[in-house]
Amino acid sequence: MSEEAELLPGTLDLLILKAVSLGPLHGYAVLSRIEQISGQRLLVEQGALYPALFRLVRQGLLKTEWGKSENNRRAKFYELTAKGRKRLQEETDWWKRASAAVTAALAARPQRA
Amino acid sequence: MIAAYLRSMARRFLRRTQTEREVEEELRSHMELRADALERAGLERAEAERRARIEFGSHVRFKEECREAMGGNAIDQAIQDVRFSLRALRKSPGFSLVAVITLALGIGATVATFSVVNTVLLRPFAFSHPEKLLWIYSQRSDNPRTNFSLPEYCDYRDQATSFEGLAGVASFNPSFSDSGPPERVQGVRMSASAFAMLAVRPLLGRALIAEDDRNGARGVALISYGLWSRRYARDPAVIGRPVNLDGQSREIVGVLPPGFALPNLDTEIVVPLQPDADPRRNVRNSVNFLRMVGRLRPNVTTQQAHAELEAIRQNLHRQYPGIYTGKIGITLVPLTEEIVANIKAVLLTIFCAAGAVLLVSCVNLAGISLSRAAARHRELAVRTALGATRSQLTRLLLTESFILALVGGSLGMLLEVWGQRALLRLVPSDLPRIENFSIDWTVLLFAGALIFVAALACGLTPAWLLSRSDLRDALVSSSRGSTGGALQSRLRTWLVSGQIALALVLLANAGLLLRSFVRLSSEQPGFDSNNVQTIRFSLPQTGYDDVATIARFYDQLHSRATTINGIKSDALVSILPLAPKSISFVHFTRPDRPPARPEDTPSTNYRIVTPDYFRTMGIPLLDGRNFTESDEAEHPPVAIVSTNLARTHFPDRSAIGQRILVDDTDGDPRSIEIVGTVGPVKQTNLETPAKADIYLPLRQMPKDGVPWLRNSAYWVVKTSGGTMGVERLLRDTIQNVDRNVAVGAVRPMTESVAATLAARRFSLLLVGSFAAAALFLAAAGLYGVISYGIQQRNREIGVRLALGATRATILGMIFKEGAVLLAGGIIAGFAIALVLAKLVASQMYGVNEHDPFSFAVVGLILTVISLVACGIAARRAMNIDPIVALRCE
Repeated sequence: MSEEAELLPGTLDLLILKAVSLGPLHGYAVLSRIEQISGQRLLVEQGALYPALFRLVRQGLLKTEWGKSENNRRAKFYELTAKGRKRLQEETDWWKRASAAVTAALAARPQRA
Repeated sequence: MIAAYLRSMARRFLRRTQTEREVEEELRSHMELRADALERAGLERAEAERRARIEFGSHVRFKEECREAMGGNAIDQAIQDVRFSLRALRKSPGFSLVAVITLALGIGATVATFSVVNTVLLRPFAFSHPEKLLWIYSQRSDNPRTNFSLPEYCDYRDQATSFEGLAGVASFNPSFSDSGPPERVQGVRMSASAFAMLAVRPLLGRALIAEDDRNGARGVALISYGLWSRRYARDPAVIGRPVNLDGQSREIVGVLPPGFALPNLDTEIVVPLQPDADPRRNVRNSVNFLRMVGRLRPNVTTQQAHAELEAIRQNLHRQYPGIYTGKIGITLVPLTEEIVANIKAVLLTIFCAAGAVLLVSCVNLAGISLSRAAARHRELAVRTALGATRSQLTRLLLTESFILALVGGSLGMLLEVWGQRALLRLVPSDLPRIENFSIDWTVLLFAGALIFVAALACGLTPAWLLSRSDLRDALVSSSRGSTGGALQSRLRTWLVSGQIALALVLLANAGLLLRSFVRLSSEQPGFDSNNVQTIRFSLPQTGYDDVATIARFYDQLHSRATTINGIKSDALVSILPLAPKSISFVHFTRPDRPPARPEDTPSTNYRIVTPDYFRTMGIPLLDGRNFTESDEAEHPPVAIVSTNLARTHFPDRSAIGQRILVDDTDGDPRSIEIVGTVGPVKQTNLETPAKADIYLPLRQMPKDGVPWLRNSAYWVVKTSGGTMGVERLLRDTIQNVDRNVAVGAVRPMTESVAATLAARRFSLLLVGSFAAAALFLAAAGLYGVISYGIQQRNREIGVRLALGATRATILGMIFKEGAVLLAGGIIAGFAIALVLAKLVASQMYGVNEHDPFSFAVVGLILTVISLVACGIAARRAMNIDPIVALRCE
């Protein structure tokens, strides 16, 4: 099995929210940030990122603004809204509970009755 | 509101292109940033950019996904749907063409007839709240609608509380003259206060006011919009001008609004009634010449008003015993109904027929789209497999049918606008209000609604079917073009049978109308209209004060006429047969058999004639003698009666030489000797059986009749044929005798006869063409289904042929299928037609509305046409080559 894990469905949105929660980012930076904070273990397909970004904007979780990138290119920056921050919190809690449950389940050993 | 909507739509549209650009830019910026990163990692710039592009993947696909993620814009989607649909429709031009033409015919026909219905029945009348206005008549045993006398009117007016007001209306057809040539006009004398009650505002000048009715008020008149246009070229300066009406000078004080219809649209002049100035004001037993119009108070029903009037009538009856015998009740008729009553049933029939054609068109199209949907099953399945959702497919199908309906409907509207003239030529000229025909917003809205409904009707069936079928089957099943299951074929069968049923209903109706028309046209009116010219005229008020002067006028006219080559005979008559809206009847008794009750006194049509009348009109003298020049005032009064009068009242002996008491003067009935009998004549119209007639010679006319005859009489002339210049000649002849005679239009008698049939001809023609259209559509539908079936069963037929079936067996099989559809449709059609028959019963003449002959003939016609359609479709099956059929799959 490779070091790079495939994303579970639904986790991309969570990761984007997390990445953006640390400060406004443009699309490419979101990608890099996710790779960076996951320790290069989670890779996002480049084209799949944008539909997800637009979806989050439409849901009102992100807001956008055009600006300049660090190397002076025009780029669109994404920023978390209050609603997005709340959602991130909820999703994070849910994820922790769910993964703890799954982990616990997977840790179970056969028991004799 | 609409403007705001359009603006917001435009904004959304503009924003759409803007976001598109933004997405584009963002994706590009992403790739550049990636390339920067790669360049930093040590790649050449060009290589870095190439790599970035490859990594990013399909640019277009992501853009599409982004657009969807951002939320589709409705317009966007619609545009896409339309683009898709157009592509699909272009791929099957045959279908599209048939669909558009079918819908154009259906929608065009329905909108065209609706525009007539709209003009005649739906447009508002010149009165506000016309539904509250009622005509009030005195009811007699032999006629529910007769007039009141002036004292009676005053009693009802003063006592009735159910009405906001009661106006007396009397007909007034004066000779009208100003500086131009005199002319006879139709009009009414009306209580001046009525204008306030009717809530009619004059177009120009003022309405009648209460002062105009006062004793000794200055003479005033209002003229109609038509008269104003015709005679004064719409000159506003007409107000204040003097006119001469029946020798009396009056001032024009106003112009009536167009559409003023009281008692009908022919009214050209209105003058105040001035009841108090009338010498008959308090004469209880005076002549009945008034009817009343009233506006119901709010919250009073017609029944309540009727009950109150009835109570007043019974009071009067008690108060003045013996005077109001014969008046047995009150008749109330809604004002608007009286204006359009005759034509309502005809128009509604035509409208329903047009609607049925549209229905057949829609059903036909639904059938075709169903077949098409079946053929496209595979295409739709592939689309689903590629990710189209069911709602997208449904939208696609509906969009297609909307496009078809829109194009077809627009074409139909074009047809309507284009065919409007032809339609108006067909419309009977006496159709009330048709002169105001135009296409207005109501018609356009109606057309829009039709298009919408048609689109739904055509598009929903296949869409519904789609929702019920499993599209994956189509991909899995190897046979190309599966038949789409039992449900679909059953549906198709129903649709075709439904069309056949509708077509049969229309055909049956047309057949019944045709038979009625033929029957009626062959009805003998009792006179010979060939080469008879008629001309209506009014004598001036002065100089014609007695019978002798009128007789002298005719003598001069007659002596001039005899010198004219081509005039075989000529005569005067007070009222012409089939003359619209003219009635004159008189009560009479047989002296030895007085009626048991006064109200049982018989009545008869009453005509004043000159001796040559019967010869001129070709009315046969059957017994006794004709009038002669010596039947004059000095000699004992004589009469000629129709044979039906003679037979009814003198069943025991010959009527010739008998005496009857005729009540045609203000005094007591006078005794008149019957000297001859003539054939019965249909006086009102061809439908109504001939009633009894009594004819009196002009020279013996009672003095009371002078003003009446002076106001209106007809000169009838039998010519030797050839109509060139007749009109001019006859007019000049009259005016050469007296240039102050107001001469009406010259009209051939044949035209009068034709006019009584005009409404029927109109409805027959339209319903007939609609029935033909429906027949054609139904046959086309049947053809479509049969040939589609054959196409689907190509292989089966091939196998059968290969196994030794003869062509005849195959043909039999196909015809059997057609026959089942046909039989179902015909049975259903007959059932519907029989149920609906009573709706058209009022338009039947001499034919039972369940006439088995008509039904049998139309059933036969439908069968033959359908079988022909079947046969044409079956030809395709005959050409199937078993080898090819088996190999092709």
